[in-house]
Amino acid sequence: MTDTAVLGRSQGMVREARHLLFTVTPGAAWIIVFLVLPSAYLMGVAFMTNGPYGLPQMPLSLDSFKQLAGFGFLGWSPGNLYTLLRSLWQTLVATGLVVIVAYPIAYYITTCRAKWRPIMLLLVVVPSWTNQVIRTFGWMNLLAPGTPLSSVAESLGLIAPNMGLYPSNFAVTLGLVYNFLPFMVLPLYAAFEKLDTAQVEAAQDLYATPVKAFWHAVFPQTLPGLLAGIVLVAIPAFGMYVIPELLGGGKALMLGNLVANQFSGGSNWPLGAAGAILMLLATFAGLYAMRRIGKRLGGGEEVVI
Amino acid sequence: MTETSTAERHSQRRDEPHDGARSGVDAAGSERTASAIHMQGLHKRFGASTVALDGVDLTIEAGEFFTLLGPSGCGKTTLLRILAGLEDADQGRLTIGERDVTEVAPHHRSVNTVFQSYALFPHLSVRDNLAFGLKMRGVDRAEREARVERIAEFIQLGDLIDRRIDQLSGGQRQRIALARALVCEPDVLLLDEPLSALDAGLRSQLQVELLRVQKRLGMTFVFVTHDQDEAMVMSDRIAVLNGGTIQQVGPPREVYERPVNAFVARFMGHANLYPISARQGQRVTTELGELELEPDLDTPQQGGGELLLIRPETLDVRLGRHQGVNHLAGRITERLYRGSHAEFRLAVGDTTLQATINNRGRRLPEVGDEVTLVVAPEDLVTVAN
Amino acid sequence: MRKRTLKRGLSAFWWLTLVFLYLPLAVVVLFSFNAANSAASMTGLSLRWYHQLFANDQIMSAFGNTLVLALTSSLIALVIGCLIGYGMYRHRHRKLGWLIVLIYLPIVLPDIVFGISEMAFFVKVNELTGLLGPGLGTMIIAHVTFQIPFVALIVYSRFVGLDPSLFEAAKDLYASPFKRVVHFMLPTIKPALISAFFLSFTLSVDDFVISFFTSGPESATLPIYIWGAIKKGVSPEINAIATLMIAAVALAALASLVVNRRKA
Repeated sequence: MTDTAVLGRSQGMVREARHLLFTVTPGAAWIIVFLVLPSAYLMGVAFMTNGPYGLPQMPLSLDSFKQLAGFGFLGWSPGNLYTLLRSLWQTLVATGLVVIVAYPIAYYITTCRAKWRPIMLLLVVVPSWTNQVIRTFGWMNLLAPGTPLSSVAESLGLIAPNMGLYPSNFAVTLGLVYNFLPFMVLPLYAAFEKLDTAQVEAAQDLYATPVKAFWHAVFPQTLPGLLAGIVLVAIPAFGMYVIPELLGGGKALMLGNLVANQFSGGSNWPLGAAGAILMLLATFAGLYAMRRIGKRLGGGEEVVI
Repeated sequence: MTETSTAERHSQRRDEPHDGARSGVDAAGSERTASAIHMQGLHKRFGASTVALDGVDLTIEAGEFFTLLGPSGCGKTTLLRILAGLEDADQGRLTIGERDVTEVAPHHRSVNTVFQSYALFPHLSVRDNLAFGLKMRGVDRAEREARVERIAEFIQLGDLIDRRIDQLSGGQRQRIALARALVCEPDVLLLDEPLSALDAGLRSQLQVELLRVQKRLGMTFVFVTHDQDEAMVMSDRIAVLNGGTIQQVGPPREVYERPVNAFVARFMGHANLYPISARQGQRVTTELGELELEPDLDTPQQGGGELLLIRPETLDVRLGRHQGVNHLAGRITERLYRGSHAEFRLAVGDTTLQATINNRGRRLPEVGDEVTLVVAPEDLVTVAN
Repeated sequence: MRKRTLKRGLSAFWWLTLVFLYLPLAVVVLFSFNAANSAASMTGLSLRWYHQLFANDQIMSAFGNTLVLALTSSLIALVIGCLIGYGMYRHRHRKLGWLIVLIYLPIVLPDIVFGISEMAFFVKVNELTGLLGPGLGTMIIAHVTFQIPFVALIVYSRFVGLDPSLFEAAKDLYASPFKRVVHFMLPTIKPALISAFFLSFTLSVDDFVISFFTSGPESATLPIYIWGAIKKGVSPEINAIATLMIAAVALAALASLVVNRRKA
């Protein structure tokens, strides 16, 4: 009797394991075969030599990384370094601007009546449902030479005559802010909605000035949302391809363009793959940093959504 | 005096025959037979170190309102889940009616559960929730609808039946959950703290309703609770569990008045317990002094327990000093006035003691009063440590 | 007093932000009705770009590709993602850290790395086996890959939000494993499945970068066509296609609003 009961128990465990296998395997296998394997292959490509049509060849070498650092046939050139720095700078500026815009917007939505809030959030999010190419195309229409916005900028002396606001670094920044604003508003809104107003009232009671009350009671509570937003904005912004390609013209390229061009136009797969590795490293470093900061500040709160 | 009235009711109930199958009237008005449950050596572990059940042997009679009572973590819920088939015992055997169901999947057992959270399906209407079990059993549509109507009438659901689940209050959900389990006409109904989420008033109202339903159906009910008052009000018999083992099984009055050990004594209510230092015939010596008790109350197993139990309400508190058998001199140190009764803490010699007095409108002793405590020999029990 | 000034300031900022968010879309819609062949000035209203649009075979086939790609990939991702979401829920007490990492990988990987990885991989596989030549097939595979995590997470969070007793109640009420799936689980998570499908669909239609790198000569989708047209020099037809896509999104937004209203 006892033996059969024990047997039944182990049968149950086998059943559970089979269940796990059945439910998880298709998806896990799909992601492994069609994403992990390809990424691993791409990393391998970075260590190969560039062949005649841009395709990777043996032998293994570190040429692509040297090229990425700027060493070419003609000696060192700063082009790629500039591109990298520009990517970092654009990411930094765009993320900062997104925070500055999203913070009051998210707060404002929470102060409105409950029945309006879902509609307001929807209004913020809907533009991001349209295709990125179309949204960026809209900005091209708005910022092109001869448009009202460009004329205003021209008469203020901000740009040279007949140049238009696009293509330019400024247009890229604007495009990035536009593109990523909803990704910051949503987590910040969630943080504001959970805000413990008793803490704010206690702070007003104790610190008196609104600035101090904000700094001590409001800001720390919204920090998890802010960090989540930064992850959602900064990481994809750093690897952005479409916006700099369309709004930046040739002079505002970012790392994403450098990588992509090696696979479409210029064709140097190993160089592109090396750039992709750099991007991956930056991504995981960014994720790791945010996790650490999040853990230190917000306790156990998960930063990645 | 609530204690006596409950106790009286149970003493009457104890006289009813328990043996064999008891019959009752089901919701359809036809005769039905209830099933007894036999458990033999049930063991259950979670992980490597947590022992939930450590050898449970128990027989629940057919048609009985049986309660599993104990603090959280005592194993009562695990035992109920094993009855339902939601958990497999590591060892042991379980029989419901004539059938060994130890390894029978829950959907093949004629057992239904009223869950603590009610577990009503949110995607279904009340009506479809009630019909769910019948539908799964393959009962045809017309029969299903008829039985749902009958149970709705029996539980007096009224117009609740056409509501959505999210439109129901806690008490209403509780009754729907009960109806959903009953409509399947199981051999045994399991109730997992079904009233714990309700406020006190509604709770006592539903206690009465639940009892009435059980008596009319004559169905075997196994009820889990951590509330000893609820257990005493509802049950034909109670099993008190602690640490995965059964401490005592018996009718409420027996468990309350003649607990076998200190744990049961304390769990069932306020208990004054004193180690017995010496014993001579029917006289025992404790910190309180010498007290006399009746021979047949010197349990467990007549060998005598190591502790003397005095329930606070068995003490007679008299003002002033008096002499006599089982008379103790004390001084009131604390008084908690509770309207219908008052609780006192007293200093007797070097020790303290709790007493409860019913408020009969007379003068209640006050803090500092010198009093004499009198306890009848038949109200004193010895228990194991 | 100060509070009211703050509120007014915020309100003004809110409306300004809305203008910022909708201006580019509004411009696209406006120019789609432009009579002139210009992106800089409106000369009059006309539907000529829409007429040209429907007469353009390339656009029509790109439209067809977009729909086929979005529908097929969303359905496949729904099945696989639903299974994995349920597996994650059911075995949530196990240590499934590797699975969580795997699930998040497609989300955190930059689009461009995702796209070129797939491209390089498909080219290599094609070279070795002759299979997986660039086209709708490779695009569907790539799209399913980034849709699975979203479906899985939506389904998982729906299950986590349920009272665990419900699963036991279904067992207790005589439902066999198969009947539990049909009569309890699927109906219970239906709202999650619907929103997961719509999210997958939207993600697919929205995607450009990954589609771009996995597409073949015959399998251009609308975003890819638009991209090409922009690169070649702006054709006003783009405004018309873009307007139609914006209209579709607006409809979806309205629909989601109605659904939310009904739920409340």
